[in-house]
Parts: sequence; structure tokens; C-alpha cells
Amino acid sequence: MPVPGHKLDRMFNPEVVAVVGDKGPNYMWLQNNMPFKEKGGRLYSVQLDEKEIPGIEALGIQNFKSMADIPEPIDYALVAVPRQVSPYVLKDLIANKANGAGFFTSGFAETGEELGVQLQDKLTEMAREANFNLVGPNCMGLYLPKSGVRFNADAPVADDGRIGFLSQSGTHGIMFSLVSAANGLHVSRCASFGNAIILDVSDYLEYLMLDDETEIIGMYVEGVKNGRRFFDTLREACKRKPVIVWKGGQTEAGARATMSHTGSLAAPQAVWDGMMRQCGAITTNNLDETIDTMKLLLNAKPPAGTGMALLAQTGGQSVSITDAFAKAGLRVPRFSDDTYSQLGEFFNIVGGSYQNPLDMAGTIQGSMDTLDRILRIIDADPNIDAMAMELSAMFAARQWKKVQDSLDKTIDTLAAHIERSKKPFLVILHPAHEAEYVESIAPKFHAKGIPLYQSFERAAAAYARVLAYRSL
Amino acid sequence: MSFESVLAQARAEGRTLLNEVEAKSLLKEAGVPVANTTLATTREEAQAQADAAGYPVVLKVVSPDIAHKSDVGGVKLNLKDRDAVGAAYDEIVANSKKAVANARINGVAVQHMAPQGTEVIVGMTTDPQFGPVMMFGLGGIMVEVLKDVSFRLVPLEDKDADQMIDEIKGRPVLAGVRGQPPADVAALKQAILKVSQFVEAHPEVQELDLNPVFAYPDGALAVDARIVISAS
Repeated sequence: MPVPGHKLDRMFNPEVVAVVGDKGPNYMWLQNNMPFKEKGGRLYSVQLDEKEIPGIEALGIQNFKSMADIPEPIDYALVAVPRQVSPYVLKDLIANKANGAGFFTSGFAETGEELGVQLQDKLTEMAREANFNLVGPNCMGLYLPKSGVRFNADAPVADDGRIGFLSQSGTHGIMFSLVSAANGLHVSRCASFGNAIILDVSDYLEYLMLDDETEIIGMYVEGVKNGRRFFDTLREACKRKPVIVWKGGQTEAGARATMSHTGSLAAPQAVWDGMMRQCGAITTNNLDETIDTMKLLLNAKPPAGTGMALLAQTGGQSVSITDAFAKAGLRVPRFSDDTYSQLGEFFNIVGGSYQNPLDMAGTIQGSMDTLDRILRIIDADPNIDAMAMELSAMFAARQWKKVQDSLDKTIDTLAAHIERSKKPFLVILHPAHEAEYVESIAPKFHAKGIPLYQSFERAAAAYARVLAYRSL
Repeated sequence: MSFESVLAQARAEGRTLLNEVEAKSLLKEAGVPVANTTLATTREEAQAQADAAGYPVVLKVVSPDIAHKSDVGGVKLNLKDRDAVGAAYDEIVANSKKAVANARINGVAVQHMAPQGTEVIVGMTTDPQFGPVMMFGLGGIMVEVLKDVSFRLVPLEDKDADQMIDEIKGRPVLAGVRGQPPADVAALKQAILKVSQFVEAHPEVQELDLNPVFAYPDGALAVDARIVISAS
């Protein structure tokens, strides 16, 4: 158990999982959780509708018509019943001594209608009285890749997850899980928490901050129930590991009655921004920025300064990469005299340049020894804090496809450099006209832990964010 | 004036807005640098207080019924001697009574007219989600048009006040532009921290503006102050 004694520990490390109210023909929730069963977990179904039961049993899953018949306490249940039934299910879960349950069921206060609000109040009252860990409702529940508990059939099962992710939105929770995996990053534990009537983001955040398997934390949040508690928890979490907050709903109008100038200027987002900086959180505006930042946090050495060495393949791209990094507030300093004299020994200055930014395709000419030599020289330059290097699909894709191992050798050379160097190293590979091919080779970079970006701007923004965080 | 007595007085009168003299005296007691401001209830008192404050002086009407003092002719600036103060006192009272029928007039606030410094704003408001929040920004057009302000939740640590000052876009203005000497950023930082301590100690304070605060090469001074308290 990663956090022994924590109230959410059983739920986050389940051995017994129940799916309540799943239906054919697809049995989505049971199918999502088949990996849990395959990994040796005890997966049960609760369904009293006679016509659904054969389909459930055909999956090899034991069904109970009543939760009371389940012979052991449930660690985590996923509830997908009509909203009117949900209080009865909650009653059974409490009687079972279940640790927690995600309520996929929606139609509560988020609808604004009376019955929905009443039912939500009822669930809240029951769960609060029983001190029950209710996730949601109106959410996708937990995604625990190591346990095989999933909220989406495409979300990977993985033992090596390092990212804890929390999402007020089900869509963003799923999307993060899928897109981070496509970028070679895996989740340790993820919760989509919807209406948050009992457990709020602070509860989950507290668990992830204590969980040793979670190295960094990300979250999508629109608002919190208890602002002060969130502030205290976030501040504590940021002292322990990097926390990235993607705040949704940034443009809401902040009009409210106020008698002071300060009050009229305190738009909700402005206050959030200040609060997040005060805690030491990293802030992002969207999914891509969130994943770009995580990539660097997990796969690069910690940045120590603003001095970038920029390595481009051509003259035009040398200018573009410099613009992108300079606009992000970073410097492109002169190399040291030592670096110049070493590069000068072999650099081809016709159609190339060994100023910073480096225009180097004409010098490398496909030689990995030359690339390695350049990387070593620049790595030793005291003026340089980090390196960003362009790979050009426009020029190289043809070669990589044609010459066996040429791509692998490039990747190996870069991976060896990253291993050896104490400085952050970023690779930019724009899809150019080869989007499909570039997508097909990206996993090779991910597998070697090379932080790979699709544009200079995204790489520069990620570096600037992580540097600002490390400089706090 | 203790905080408790000012609070009791305001609540007894059904006010949530403290008057300028009340607000400034509480802040001064809390260690916030504010322009010394006294309440005169007669022409002669105003003249004596002006003598004590040192010329030039500023006179402002103090009335729970007048929110926008300048609009009613309730503010007189740059008064250079006793005669000017006497005339201004009479004029302010007359203007105020004329503008707002049956206005309750507590008197006129008298303060030395502080020399112009770099204008900044230090404030606090109560956020519905996060509670008391401090704000800092450059005054004048920077705050009005560009909303170039920063926020931190109370209570502030040292580093929070530093960051609030450093993260506004207009920060170079405080370092001195076009040959101007740099503003005393340490004094601004102390003012922010003192206000944070003040509002932390008094949860009844709902909103607070020091606007403007003049930042000088050596020191800082709040020349106007406004405090809003909770109704009960």
C-alpha cells in the first residue's frame, strides 16, 4: 500500500472491484475493467436485470443480484445505475463496508433541475453521515493503470506510471490519459471527480502528494469547494513534488458587488493565478502545454539557467528557433572561445554556421560521429545551460526511410548524450509533410526518454515553464 | 481609536464603510505608513490642524452620505495658508450640503499635502472562494486600463510580497525610468506585509484600498485609505 492508513488507500490500490448496473450489448464498464481481473483482481458485477445477466456471465464475471451477497468488502465500485436508484446503491455500498465508489451516474445538481438537486443532496447526506468516499457523481471515476482499473477501453495498462492526474471533467481525464500515453508518459493514478459532492480535489491531491509512485501531479480544475483547504493542500503538495495546474474557465466574467477598487479588479482568474504562484505550482492553459511540461519534468535534467544552445539544420530554421526561444524569455548567448576554436577545427561554414544558433546539417552530413562531437563540445560550454536541437523531417525522413538503422543511430546518439550530460536537452521534430511517418517514429524517441516536441514554440514554452518552477 | 471602538461605532451607525480619518488612524496604528490626517469640525479647528500639519494642506469632506467627494466639491488641494484653509472649509461644507440634501457631515479631514511620488495601489478584498486576498499594482493608468496588478492570499510571507511587486508588468517603472531615482521597494514590501498582518488580525475587514500610495526614493506613504467592514 503506497500510503498506509490513508482513507483512500484501499480504493486507490484495489483488490476487490464491483461494477454496479452495467448493461449489454457492450458492457462498457466491465470491459474497461477486464485487465483488473486478468491481473488477478476480484471483479464482481451487481445487476438484477435477468436479461443482462447471461451477457455478464459470458464474460466470465460473477454476477450478484444483490450487493449484500458479495462475500467480501469492496475496495472500489463503479456505479452506472439510473439516478433514482443511486441512493439505494449507496446504502448497499455503505453496508458492504466498501472503501469508495465512483458514480458515473449523472443527472444531479449539474442539470439545475429540482429532482437532480434533491437526489444529489440525498447522496451527500448519506455519504457524509457514513464517512463514505464517494467519487463524483457525474464523473468517470478512477483510472489505475497498474491495477488494471480503467475508465476507457483505450487507456493503457501500465506498471511504470509516474504521473498522478486529477480532473474535474471526465473528458479531460480520459483525454489526458490517452494523449500522455501517446507521448510515452504513463499515469500512476487518475481520478475524474465530477460534481465532487464528498471527495474534492484536495482529498485526491493529498493522496497523490503522499504516494511514492507518483512523481509529478497534474490537474484540470475549474473551481473548488473549499478554497482555503485547496490552497493549503496545494502549497504542501508543491513542496513535495512538481504540481501542474491547468485551470479551466479562465475567461468567466468576474462581476460581483464590491465597494473597493481592489474588489473590482479581483477577477477570479487573477486571484487563482496569484494563489497558484504563491503555492509554487506550474500553471498551464491547455492539454498540450500540460503534457509538454511533464515531458521535460520527467525526461530532462533540471534546468539551471536561460542560456540556450540552439541547434538547427538550416539557416532559416536557425532564425526561427532563435525567435521562438527568445520570445519565451530565454537567451541565446555567444559560445565560449574554447567552443569556437574546437568547432572551427571541422565546421563547414559554407552553407553553415557555428555561431549560436548552430546551422549544422552541412557539417554533419549524416555522420553520427560528427553529431556526437558537436554535442560534446557544446555540452562543455560554460555559457550554455541547456540545448534544443531541431531534427528535420523535411530533409531527413527520406533518408531515415531509405537507410536501414539511420534513424535508430540518430536516436541512440541523442539518447547517449542525454544520459551523459547534466544539462537539459530537447528535440524538436516538426511533422512537416510527413505527419503520418513522424507520428509512427515518435514512440522510438519516447522509448528512449527523449523529450520530443512538434514545434520550437512548444519546446521553448515547456523549457521556460520548468525553468521558472526550478528557479522558485 | 482602537479597532474595536471604531468597529462598534460604525456598526452602531449602520455603516460598513469607515471614514478616511478612522481608516487611516487604524492603519497607522498597525504600522502602515499613512499620511497623518485629522478631523476638524470647525473652521478654527481646521486652521489649527493645518498649522500643525504644515502647508500646503488638503481638505476633504467626511460624510457617510457622500461617496464621491471630488464630484460634490468636497476636496480642496494645495492650500497654502490659514486664510485659504478657512475659506476652503466653509466652501466644502456649503458644497456638500448643497449637493446632498440633509447630508450628515462629520467634519473635514485635514492632511499635509504629500509631495508626488510614484503612484502605486495596495489593496485587499475578500474572494468568495479563497477569502482575504492582497493586491498590488502601479497606480493611475496602469491599474485603470491595463489592470496590471498581482494577487496573493493572506497571510503573506516575505517572498510573496517580493513576488507581488516583481511580477507586475510595470515593474521597471519602480526601478526608475528616464533618469528618475528608483522607488523604495523595500518600503512598499513592508507596507504590503503590514496590511496583510492587519487584515489577518481583523477578519471583520472585507475590503481595503490604499490608493494611491506614493513611493519615494526613501520610504512610501499612503495618502488615501478606504476600509470596508462586514455588516455584522
